[in-house]
Amino acid sequence: MLYKLKRTAGIVMLMSMLIPSLAACGNSATPTTSTGGTTAETPTTGGGVMTGTISTGEMSTATTGTGVMTGTATSGEMMGTATTNASGGMTPTMSGVMTGTSTSGVMTGTTTTGGATGGFTSGGPITLPGNCANTSISYWTPLSGPDGQAMTALTDSFNKENPNVKVNITTGSFTDYNTQLGTAAASNTLPDIAIINEDQVATQAFRNVIRPIPDAAMSGIGVTAADYPAVAWGAGTVAGKQYAIPLSFVAMTMYYNEDMLKAAGISAPPTDKASFEAAAKAMTANGKNGFLLTTGFPVQQIFQTLLHQYGGTEFNSDGSKATWNSDAGVQALTWMQQASANYGQKNLEVDADLNAFKAGTVGMIWNGIWQLSSVTGSAVSFTGKAAPVPQIGTQPAVWAGGPLLTFTYTKNPDACKDTVGAMFYKYLIDHSVDWAKGGNIPANNKARASAAFQALPQANIGPSVANPVFPPAIPGIGDAFAPLGTQVGAVIAGTQTDIKKALDTAADQANTILTQNKTNYGSAPKQP
Amino acid sequence: MAIRTAETTLEAARTTTVRRKFSWTPYLFILPHLIFFAGFILWPFINGILISLQQYDYLRPQQNKFIGLQNYIDLFVPGTLIFSEFWDSLKNTAIFVVISVPALVIIPLLLAVLLNVKIPGRNIFRAIYFAPWVLSVSVVGLLWWWIFQSSGGLINYYLKDLGMITPRWLSSLPWAWIAILIATVWWTIGFNMIILLAALQDIPDQLYEAASLDGASPWQTFSRVTLPMLRPVLLFVVTITIIASFNLFGQPFLMTGGGPPQPDGTNATTPVMYRIYIQGFVRPLQGSAAAMSFVVAMIMVVVSYLNFKIFRQRENG
Repeated sequence: MLYKLKRTAGIVMLMSMLIPSLAACGNSATPTTSTGGTTAETPTTGGGVMTGTISTGEMSTATTGTGVMTGTATSGEMMGTATTNASGGMTPTMSGVMTGTSTSGVMTGTTTTGGATGGFTSGGPITLPGNCANTSISYWTPLSGPDGQAMTALTDSFNKENPNVKVNITTGSFTDYNTQLGTAAASNTLPDIAIINEDQVATQAFRNVIRPIPDAAMSGIGVTAADYPAVAWGAGTVAGKQYAIPLSFVAMTMYYNEDMLKAAGISAPPTDKASFEAAAKAMTANGKNGFLLTTGFPVQQIFQTLLHQYGGTEFNSDGSKATWNSDAGVQALTWMQQASANYGQKNLEVDADLNAFKAGTVGMIWNGIWQLSSVTGSAVSFTGKAAPVPQIGTQPAVWAGGPLLTFTYTKNPDACKDTVGAMFYKYLIDHSVDWAKGGNIPANNKARASAAFQALPQANIGPSVANPVFPPAIPGIGDAFAPLGTQVGAVIAGTQTDIKKALDTAADQANTILTQNKTNYGSAPKQP
Repeated sequence: MAIRTAETTLEAARTTTVRRKFSWTPYLFILPHLIFFAGFILWPFINGILISLQQYDYLRPQQNKFIGLQNYIDLFVPGTLIFSEFWDSLKNTAIFVVISVPALVIIPLLLAVLLNVKIPGRNIFRAIYFAPWVLSVSVVGLLWWWIFQSSGGLINYYLKDLGMITPRWLSSLPWAWIAILIATVWWTIGFNMIILLAALQDIPDQLYEAASLDGASPWQTFSRVTLPMLRPVLLFVVTITIIASFNLFGQPFLMTGGGPPQPDGTNATTPVMYRIYIQGFVRPLQGSAAAMSFVVAMIMVVVSYLNFKIFRQRENG
């Protein structure tokens, strides 16, 4: 009743949508409210903004993550297993194990979360000043999938090892995370520290949601630019100041149905264009598909993977122009169009690839590494496995994204809270390898070089992220990708057949957005 | 002349009376409402107008500046990105209004007529039809998102068994709109049905008695007695349904993600409210988003006015 009445007053409610204080009320300032049940009275429109995005592990659709890491994607396999954590309970964490020898090493890894030590340390311990005892800080992450549980487990063990302080972790909804941060900033309810994804660091810095890493915290954590791949560290550098420290990388991954592959007479997962096309063709029979592409997420990230494989880039060096309408872009999208036509189905909705894979009706799909636990191991009734995305183009490259560690903006920084934040971030970085067991690659060079990481089966792909390609650290860059996603989707859907035109249209629109962002944000963040 | 003087005198007398009898009491009576009205409707309205005249972001107050009507002008310059984004999404919303309003008025009307008959268990049916209305949009969106899945979804599962075509409900046209329409009808018919049911019960029995004495057929009874008697309530129902449909946001957001993507770079089921949300919270250009909101609000006012006018014409004719 209340809802309809609100809607009858829709005209007026419209106006209120743009009032910060009201928007902050109508919106869920805290991410914990993003469940269906709490939204019963929330109008879909009018007063505001969706609060209830349903975010489950399977549906964690990363709408914004961008970045590509190039490198040698070797052959090999990954397998997800639900593992027992230190406390003995079953945790369906992502445990990805990537292995690779240039031949066809098929290895299965089983890993555990919690318990193990990192095996490397980023510097001396941070001492908590006496007057800071019992400081507790709040910490937000957008990790709504299985990786969120791994992060919660790490936070719990930090709290256990440091009984005199406390980190309160809150997992936000993936799709609305940035809006949640914005409304929290407006209502002064920001957490003390937060994870920000690589394409959002500059935007959040310009909007005063985050602040540069405090000097004391940075020296306490003990990491420097030299410890990271230059581009990854650069993703945290905004207008000459360091706003974020990279934690890890996640990558586009190929999932395949080994039963179907074997039935088609193929023994190893494909690694290049010829073997991929042969495998896809062989499995496209009897009403089943060899390879599926949807019309939504993550086809844009798949395109970015192929764009870089063919030698292209998304933007020019200063991020002022989109360059995906190059020959490399045309080649990449043409290949996707043909692969979809030859081995797939037209007009699939978002997640239809995952659903079909789980139903056993498609041989191979490409999706984020975060889907590992939902499409491999005991999650499916067949042998579902993961492998690196094959090299279709002329050079190895794979889309990657990753979380960065930030301190949120506040007018009056609290030295105690900053110290606890630094202690916690140092703990996360020192436990990069434990975190990596959740299905990612540490961003820190020392962590990747450590004996503990070298002992992990995915150690072989460590070198491939030595020089990842990230989007430029300029505000609003995520928005500039939106036209690309639409055009790639339209090409796969078949509503757009002219590939060059599709990429040109997307580039034109992105250029408008880039120009608009420049006017809107200016050249450096200005504090209020 | 004399009369006029008398009137003037009377008027003057009245004014004096009112002045003399001024009292705070009535204002105190409306004060509670006035506070909420001012705080939650009047001030947001005025502030919204102010924001729409600025380059505005609430997180970067130092960047805010007054730019006059520029945000409005931008919406009316053909060939620009913002022009196509705004008007295409408005077109999408208009499509939804056109297809949804008839369904959301006629189906509840028929249900109300059916449930107005004295049959056993009708209260149970009334409750059942009303039940979905209490759900939140996220529940409804997710529910129908599953039902409309192209493979493994309930509808296509049965359509396949029946040997019928199995459309890609959520990622192709016109099916995406039909899916959103079905979900919306299922979700919201209960409210209109209850209102119309109450109105039906207000129609005096004598009218039906007289009609039956005159030998009117059931259709004649419906069209000559029921419909005319329902007209004022129908006007209300149509108006709020148009406004509700204009506010479409959650269903496409959850079910289709605004897609399917179109070759011109637009997304076929992205409603204008979604566009305003992106403009205001993703970009974030809140001044421009506020201007968009006011343009949409003006359009809604005009549509509602036309709606009233059409109903009144029928009344006169």
